[in-house]
Amino acid sequence: MEGKLSSVAKNFTPSSIQELSQLAQKCNAINLAEGFPDFPAPPCIKEAAVSAINNDFNQYRRVQGICDQLALKMKKTHGLNVNPLTDIAICCGQSEAFAAAIFSIINQGDEVLLFDPCYETYEGCITLAGGIPVYVALEPPQWTLDPEKLMRSFTSRTKAIVLNSPHNPTGKVFSRDELEIIAEGCRRWDCVAITDEVYEYITYDNQKHETIAKLPGMQERTIITSSLSKTFSVTGWRIGWAIAPASAASAIQNIHIRITDSAPAPFQEAALTALRSPIEYFETLRGEYELKRDFCMKLLGSIGFRIQFKPQGSLFLFAELPKDCLLSDVEYVEELIKQAGVVVVPGRGFFHGNESCNYQKRYIRVAFCKSGATLNAAAQKFGELINAKACPKILY
Amino acid sequence: MQAAECTWTHFEMLRPLCFKSPSTTPLFFNFSKHFQKGFSDSSFFRSNRRISNYPSFMATISSLSTHKDPVSTHDATPNITHQPVQVAKRLEKFKTTIFTQMSMLAIKHGAINLGQGFPNFDGPDFVKEAAIQAIKDGKNQYARGYGVPDFNNAIAARFKKDTGLVIDPEKEVTVTSGCTEAIAATMLGLINPGDEVILFAPFYDSYEATLSMAGAKVKCITLRPPDFAVPIDELKSTISKNTRAILINTPHNPTGKMFTREELNTIASLCIENDVLVFTDEVYDKLAFEMDHISMASLPGMYERTVTMNSLGKTFSLTGWKIGWAIAPPHLTWGVRQAHSFLTFATSTPMQYAATVALQAPDSYFAELKRDYMAKKAILVQGLKDVGFKVFPSSGTYFVVVDHTPFGLENDIAFCEYLIKEVGVVAIPTSVFYLNPDDGKNLVRFTFCKDEETLRSAVERMKEKLKKK
Repeated sequence: MEGKLSSVAKNFTPSSIQELSQLAQKCNAINLAEGFPDFPAPPCIKEAAVSAINNDFNQYRRVQGICDQLALKMKKTHGLNVNPLTDIAICCGQSEAFAAAIFSIINQGDEVLLFDPCYETYEGCITLAGGIPVYVALEPPQWTLDPEKLMRSFTSRTKAIVLNSPHNPTGKVFSRDELEIIAEGCRRWDCVAITDEVYEYITYDNQKHETIAKLPGMQERTIITSSLSKTFSVTGWRIGWAIAPASAASAIQNIHIRITDSAPAPFQEAALTALRSPIEYFETLRGEYELKRDFCMKLLGSIGFRIQFKPQGSLFLFAELPKDCLLSDVEYVEELIKQAGVVVVPGRGFFHGNESCNYQKRYIRVAFCKSGATLNAAAQKFGELINAKACPKILY
Repeated sequence: MQAAECTWTHFEMLRPLCFKSPSTTPLFFNFSKHFQKGFSDSSFFRSNRRISNYPSFMATISSLSTHKDPVSTHDATPNITHQPVQVAKRLEKFKTTIFTQMSMLAIKHGAINLGQGFPNFDGPDFVKEAAIQAIKDGKNQYARGYGVPDFNNAIAARFKKDTGLVIDPEKEVTVTSGCTEAIAATMLGLINPGDEVILFAPFYDSYEATLSMAGAKVKCITLRPPDFAVPIDELKSTISKNTRAILINTPHNPTGKMFTREELNTIASLCIENDVLVFTDEVYDKLAFEMDHISMASLPGMYERTVTMNSLGKTFSLTGWKIGWAIAPPHLTWGVRQAHSFLTFATSTPMQYAATVALQAPDSYFAELKRDYMAKKAILVQGLKDVGFKVFPSSGTYFVVVDHTPFGLENDIAFCEYLIKEVGVVAIPTSVFYLNPDDGKNLVRFTFCKDEETLRSAVERMKEKLKKK
């Protein structure tokens, strides 16, 4: 019966992030691994969902108002003209928007460029659709984009490039210059840019997120995907979208309908409230996450990390193990769970391609989208270890 | 409620409609305008190389402007022989459908909608309250990818109650965004390009679409009135060692047929003999009126080769919550979970908590559900008979299929248009449920998942305005 598995399914392995989470749960470890908050979602948005359920918004629906709000946002934030009637598909999370986008664009044998390191799910989607992932490594320690390396990666088979900015796991926000370089590649090779902008409102130090779609010649060849999840701390609601030229948006909507039919109806209603949040909401969000980022950097600093790349956005800190540390990322993470009762993610799962790059086993990803209580608890654990000088393996 | 918000998302098929006056469907007209605008302006589509990779978009545009059916050359086995055809096939299934257009038409004419396959009444309070409580309790972050543990347990318990089978909720249950996603994940996770899959027509349209996404070769067996029985001889000659899977929807949308134990036994022995998988869609299992629902997985030797799929929506009148699941032995669950993790990653968390409560509802809930629906069915079926339709027996689901030919319209689509415009009632043309549309041209589908007053009003309108020729 093993033979009944499709060849594509046989090559997949379980999510390492989810496995570690289960180990951490067993050890009751403080979870700085998974990228979702452990603090409550904003009350008014929850109330909007409760209200929707009570008011019988519970059957299949597609809430056009979401598209209207998104179109307004695109205009206000990026100066882009988006037609809410034709250019937006509502999906079950950015996950489904991305999957549907890939299925709408990728044929068997098409190449898709991805920056390395990257979120582990993109590759699976691309492979499921018959595409071939091609990785372009960002160079540590600053995760810089090498224009020549990028241009060399385009071939006549390249159909699309995936751009996740702000970036998981590094926290990099691609600069305008870098966006220009990527755009140049897309224009020259006539490719589509598929973006994952779920951290679009989480940027630091006055850095602003820019979408590649606003660059010359890009709106007509860009599919933007994003969601409510990270902005409104409702990762479990599954409300996301794709914004693209009408023909692509239509294809994506039609594929979405065959995959799930509809995004959860009451949460679509609540999305209307969320998307109308005043500017203060986003400023507070950014400010609070910036404090958490800074706290996390200090935390790692206290146990010997030298953070060479300060996150410019997203909810993650991607830190290289201290030079004196001889452990691999996986060994370090296990030690950290056992000795400090804190769990983070080994970085190797985010890297692909060239196995000989040593640095791929030298990074850990720390999620700081956690409550003050959680972060303080982690600080306390580290404090105890430092005072006891008990753990040479994780103190440097 | 704005017109656009009433757009059907519960899609049913894909062939463009020959509308005489496109201006009556403004949303559709906007789509066509933008397709053409997008095509000519965008450099993305201007390049010749790219155009050749997008025959589907061209097919879509040409179908919009000429109103011709680009898939009229369909035979029962769309053969995927080379890449451009495969692309076209995959995206051809994903055009906007006549149902969006009919929905708009229905609103414009103030028609009573007995076409949509979802209730105009809401789900039970105890389930809604459970969802509200879960939101308030902060269950708003990612659930475990294959399901909230309590929910997986509840699914296993319910399955044991319904079938007697004992399963492992951790290894044999996968929670998905509705049964639609369970079907998509099963196809993508377990079907290789080129695999043969047997489908019974008429069928829910997402089957064909997702099979095409998986690159399968579809072999279709048509169920025919009056009782839509499985043609055993045809099945025997179609199934072979080359068949990878067979898809069974029971109780069946659109006909209301329920596969009998005899039929299931015959199919089972053919599957065992030829080593074929079975995928079952059992979302209407609690709307079984004329006979008991039978799960294929419960037949001897079948659990190990069956993926059993179901959902919350129909049983609890909460179709918009998108909570479904797939039950299968571990070696099949693996593939389903992989595909699922790349399609949606995780399913709505608060709704899973509510669904846990729902599945533990007492027997009285299900008994009352059946009683209510049987009363509704009686109103509709008697009404349709009185009006003059030939009504085919429906044993389950909330659908009834009828022969409309006594009213003298040339086919099902023409009849449905007439019914909306002249009578003010919506039904679904069944030709869209077949690979060969001709097979459905005499049949239309009505639904009775509406409150009694709506059903009575619809029947009155038809009695008044629908005259036999």
